[in-house]
Amino acid sequence: MLRWKYSRPLLGILILILAIGPMLSFGMLKEPGIQQTLAVAFLYGALALTYDMLFGFTGLLSFGHALFFASGAYVTAILIDSYKWPWYIAIPTSIATSAILAVLVGSASLRTKGITFAMVTLAFGEAGHVVISRNFGNLTNGENGLPINADRVPGIFIGVINTKYLFWLALAVLIFVYAAIWWVTQSSAGRVFSALRDNEVRTSVLGLNPNRYKLLSFVIAGTLASVIGSAMLLVSGNAAPRYATADTTIALLLMVILGGSGTRWGAALGGILYSIASTRLQDLNQGKALASLPKIISGPLSEPAFILGLLFIFIVMFAPGGLSGAYYRIRLRFLQRKGEKTASIPV
Amino acid sequence: MDTFVLIAITGIGLGALFFLVASGLSLIYGLMGVLNFAHGTFLTVGAFAGLWISTQVFTISNTWTFVGAMLFGGLAGGVFALLVERLVITRLYERHIEQALVTVGVALVVGAMLSGWFGNDPRLLPTPHWFINTVTIGKAFVPVDRFLYIGASLVLLIVLTSILRFTRIGLIIRAGVENRSMVGALGINVRLAFSAVFFLGGFAAGLGGVLVAAYQSGVTPLMSGSWLIYGFVVVVVGGMGSLGGSALAALLIGVVNQFTNYYFPGVGDFVIVFLLAAVLLTRPQGLLGKVGR
Repeated sequence: MLRWKYSRPLLGILILILAIGPMLSFGMLKEPGIQQTLAVAFLYGALALTYDMLFGFTGLLSFGHALFFASGAYVTAILIDSYKWPWYIAIPTSIATSAILAVLVGSASLRTKGITFAMVTLAFGEAGHVVISRNFGNLTNGENGLPINADRVPGIFIGVINTKYLFWLALAVLIFVYAAIWWVTQSSAGRVFSALRDNEVRTSVLGLNPNRYKLLSFVIAGTLASVIGSAMLLVSGNAAPRYATADTTIALLLMVILGGSGTRWGAALGGILYSIASTRLQDLNQGKALASLPKIISGPLSEPAFILGLLFIFIVMFAPGGLSGAYYRIRLRFLQRKGEKTASIPV
Repeated sequence: MDTFVLIAITGIGLGALFFLVASGLSLIYGLMGVLNFAHGTFLTVGAFAGLWISTQVFTISNTWTFVGAMLFGGLAGGVFALLVERLVITRLYERHIEQALVTVGVALVVGAMLSGWFGNDPRLLPTPHWFINTVTIGKAFVPVDRFLYIGASLVLLIVLTSILRFTRIGLIIRAGVENRSMVGALGINVRLAFSAVFFLGGFAAGLGGVLVAAYQSGVTPLMSGSWLIYGFVVVVVGGMGSLGGSALAALLIGVVNQFTNYYFPGVGDFVIVFLLAAVLLTRPQGLLGKVGR
């Protein structure tokens, strides 16, 4: 009801522009630098979507989601670099491994609920980060990250001139993840996810096993995150230990809250904007834009986390629903003024 | 045997530091249900305050100035925690997820401010000269500073327990941990207990920050990261809201961590997570936690 009738055609046109853009000889999209920034942004948008399914739709506040993103990147990189597997076997193996990892971590942490669940997943995520940064078994190359061996990756993904293929890959992953999340959240299982978020006791009284559905949501989100991790490995060229940190999950949380949780497009938009903003704010820092200000102001302003954190606090306290929530409120007011009585905000 | 003593005492010292972080987290969670991601910030703020007073105010560095720095760091952490509670957390009364989210925001903003002002390079905290001494126990040479951490935590444990046991506000806090809505229904101002718990937790964390700075010889805006995570682990293992549980779990985790790291270098952090998983699978409410919260 609240959807604007032109929103889907407009989205289609936008995707078409993005898909054709890199082939044109004019416009911003032909710059490899912009293609790279957008490719990373699309992947973070997709990752935020998976987190939205976990947090916004199922109500699971996990602080270990980055673990599966990192395992997708690292297992692929290890299989390709150390074990010389071809990429088309390495990537599915990596995704399957991450899915098993998600089952194990999920079934242990889902013995707890709510805030305790958050703490426990945080500890599991940190364990993953420790494994990666301590370089167990000489596989992960420690704090330096694991660059992917360029000889073993399809040639079209290597070199600055080919950045457009990475851009298309990222766009395809975003569309795929969006479609998958849309399908899952619209399915009957997805409706149980939302029911669990709203009232777990009532859902279990209806005869549905809460933990089974929560685990399903956890594993689907984790598996999709590992798909994105493998794509990120190709786009950024290496697997970095920071992928596994709690900071990455906190960034995902910020993206989802910024865009508005439980609406899918809000999270994707939040992820894309957050990723672009943190890259651009860092450039601002390196530039001389802040040099004229006194250090007491320019110091914090040069840290992207300062501005994004303030924005985050503001949204949590005063504008719950983030960008998509604001959009729906404006749209609602517009419809009510037009005399539509039945309009209401979807959850 | 001598290495055994050394590792055991170092482990207890580490556990003492964990307890300083975890005690506040546990009380805050037990009373208010707030998962406080800003707790690491209390630690960092305390460490910076301790650094400030020991380098800018005190011209010399001896035992008393260090005790002064500890108390000042604790006070700074406590006042800061009180501010966070009053300005941000009370406004999201009873909305636990949002409260956790907003503390994440506070941690980000304050961390970024400190990074912007002071940079991320460690700054050395002046310590009394006897910090580098060792004492001989049996045949083991144990660094003296370990005993300071243990002593400080013991004093804090006694002080906190006495406050909880013998004062009116402590009574309200204990009752609130049991059943907050009932305490409120009896017309008692629970909000006052919230502030007290935040101040006490911030004090412990700030004091812990000064000691952590001495332990890892440096103050940086990023120093709290792994300590906060260990704090969470200690709280979950010990049982939410139980001060004694936190002390026990901190001791256990500190000692296990040190012994594992000695015999299998680098595996210590990993074993802690296994320990956490084992506790969750066998006793989800934690060692001394109560069922049915």
